Amino acid sequence: MSSVSQLLIMNKPLMKEMHTFGEQETCKQSSPSKKPTPPKPQNAITIAVSSRALFNMDREQDIYEQQGMEDYLKYQIQHEIEPFAPGPAFPFIKAVEAVNTRLRELYPDSEELFDVVLMTSNHAHVGLRLINSINHYQLFIERFCMTGGNSLIGYLKAYHANLYLSADSMKVREAIEEGIAAATVFSPGKITEVPETQLRVAFDGDAVLFSDESERIYKAHGLDKFFEHEKAHENKPLDHGPLKGFLEALGKLQQKFYAKGQRLDCPIRTYLVTARSAASSGTRALKTLRSWGLETDEALFLAGAPKGPMLEKIRPHIFFDDQMFHVEGAAELGTVAAHVPYGIAQTVQSKTARDVKKDMPAKQLE
Amino acid sequence: MEDKKNCTGPLMIALQYNDLFDLDSISTSTDTDALPKGRAFTFMKAVQTVNERLVEQNKSDCLLFEVILISKECSEEIKTKIVESVKHYGLEIGKFFFCKKEELINTLQSNKVKLFLSTERDDVYEALHTGIPAALLYDQADDHVFNQLTVIFSGDVIGFSEDSLDGLSEFGFSETQIETIKTAKICMKEFAVLIGQMRRRFGQENSPLCTCVLTSWGSRNVCASALKTLREWGLDVDEAFCLAGAPCSPILAVVKPHILWDGGLLNMS
Repeated sequence: MSSVSQLLIMNKPLMKEMHTFGEQETCKQSSPSKKPTPPKPQNAITIAVSSRALFNMDREQDIYEQQGMEDYLKYQIQHEIEPFAPGPAFPFIKAVEAVNTRLRELYPDSEELFDVVLMTSNHAHVGLRLINSINHYQLFIERFCMTGGNSLIGYLKAYHANLYLSADSMKVREAIEEGIAAATVFSPGKITEVPETQLRVAFDGDAVLFSDESERIYKAHGLDKFFEHEKAHENKPLDHGPLKGFLEALGKLQQKFYAKGQRLDCPIRTYLVTARSAASSGTRALKTLRSWGLETDEALFLAGAPKGPMLEKIRPHIFFDDQMFHVEGAAELGTVAAHVPYGIAQTVQSKTARDVKKDMPAKQLE
Repeated sequence: MEDKKNCTGPLMIALQYNDLFDLDSISTSTDTDALPKGRAFTFMKAVQTVNERLVEQNKSDCLLFEVILISKECSEEIKTKIVESVKHYGLEIGKFFFCKKEELINTLQSNKVKLFLSTERDDVYEALHTGIPAALLYDQADDHVFNQLTVIFSGDVIGFSEDSLDGLSEFGFSETQIETIKTAKICMKEFAVLIGQMRRRFGQENSPLCTCVLTSWGSRNVCASALKTLREWGLDVDEAFCLAGAPCSPILAVVKPHILWDGGLLNMS
C-alpha cells in the first residue's frame, strides 16, 4: 500500500491540487486510482442516512428490543465481518452515487455534489460492522457520526443536512420539528427493479412540497370547500413545505446537466404525485412551483385515486408523502415510500398494525 | 473485577491555574476573595462525578482521577488566592506546584503525570514532543454537562499506519510535527489503557465516562483501524466520528468534550 494511500485530503495550501489517494484494492478504475474527495458540507447536497435505512438490521433490532443493549452489542461484534443486507434506502443511495459519478465527469472541480453521511445513534461498537458493510458494497460514504445514543439534531445541523432518512419515526419527527427535511423510510412489500443510471424522486404535493394549509381546509370543511378555496386562490402561491428545499437542490443539479446539453438523458428525474386533480386544484400547485422557479419533470394528478399503481409504473427510488395511507399503498406495490410527519394529517392518522409497530416507543438504535 | 493488588491508580491529570481560574476577569470588588471560575471548571466537576461513581461501585477502588494544579510565575499574593479559591469552590485538587515557566516540563515529568491538560495548543505540543501525554482542554462555552466526562481520541493519530505518518512530509508536515504525532500515539495508548479499565467499571448506558474517536482527515478505513487498535488497547469507544476533511469545530460544539487528544492532525479550521 502506498505510503499516502490512507490519506484523504490535507488542507495545506500547496496540497490543494492533490486529491485523494484511495485504497488501491477497492478502486476498480483503470486510471491511476484516485478516489474522489468528499465536498465541503456547505457546498454539497448532504443526505444523512441512518444505519437502519441504509442496511437491513431487522434481526439485530429484534435482539435489542427483546434482550437489551448488552446482548445486542455482543451480537453485532460477533458478526462484525458479516455485511448487512441492503435496507430500503440502499437503492436510493446507489442512484445518488451514480449521479455524482456523472457530475464529476462533467464538472471535475465542482463541489456541487451529493454528499452521503451515515448518521446513526448506534454505538461505535457497531462501527466496524457498518464500515465493513460500506466497504463490501463499495459505497462512497466517508463521513459518519455514531453518537452512542445521543440526539442527532446537532450533528444534522453541523453537516447542513439537506435531507435526513431514517427508519425511526421519532427521530424523523424531531428533525422535522427542527426544520430539517426528513422522512421515515419503509421497506417495500416486494422488490422492484429501479433504474441504476437515473435517480428518480417522487413527491406528494400538500404538506411535503407545499405547506398543509389546503389540507387543513379539506379536513375542516370537506372536498367542495377545498375546491372552492383552491380556485379562488389559484394565483396565490402556497407556502412551502419541508421538502421544497430538497426539490430545489435536485433542480440545481439538473440545471448542471442541462447546461452540458444533457436534458434528455438527465440522470435525475423528479415527479409530483398528488391527489389534486388536473382540472381544478392542480393549477394552484403548478403555479406555486412556477412562482418558486421550480418544476418537476412529470406531474401526476390522481384526483384522489390510489398512488400505488402509478408509482409502480414510475419506479422511483423514493416517494415522499405526509399520509401513511399513501405511504403504505405505495410500499405494498413495491415502491420505497417515506413518510414526512408534517402538518394536519399527523393528528388524524389511521393506524395500521405495521404503523403501530414502527411507531412503537421502544427506543430504536439506528 | 480488577484485583485490588493490581492497582494502577490514581490517574493523575495536571492542570494549569490559568485554565482553572479566569484571571482576565478579576474584578477589583472585594465581595469575594475567590478567583473567578475558568475554563476548566466543567472538567473538574465532571471528574469529580466520575470519581464519585467509581467509589460508589467499589469503596476501595484506587483507579480514580487525581488532579494536580501547576502554577507558573506566581506572586505570593496569587499563590495564596489560588489555594483559597480551590478551597472556596470545594475543588478536589491533590497537589499544588508553583514553579518557573521553564520548570513546567520537569514538574510534569517528575510527577509521572498521566495527562497534562491545557487550552494552549503550543503547551500541549511541547509536552507531547518530550513524551509527556498531553491533550487539549476543550473550551466549554457554558456550564454544560457535569454528570459525564467526555474524552475524544484522535482517529488519525491512532489509525494511520507508520508509513502513512512518514508520508505526511509530502504534505508539508515537518519532521518535528511528525515525531510529535508518533509520540502522541504512544501517549494515547497509555491513557487509553487506563480509561478502558475505568470505562469497563460502568455499563453501556448511564456511564459517567464517555469515550469517542474522531477522525479528521483519514478515510473510513483509517477510522476502522483506530477502532480496532483502541479495542486492542482495551477500550471500546462509545461514539465515533469520521469527518473526511470537514471542519471539526461544528461537530466538537455538539459533542462538547472535556479532553481532546490532538497530536497535530485535528482540522480546527
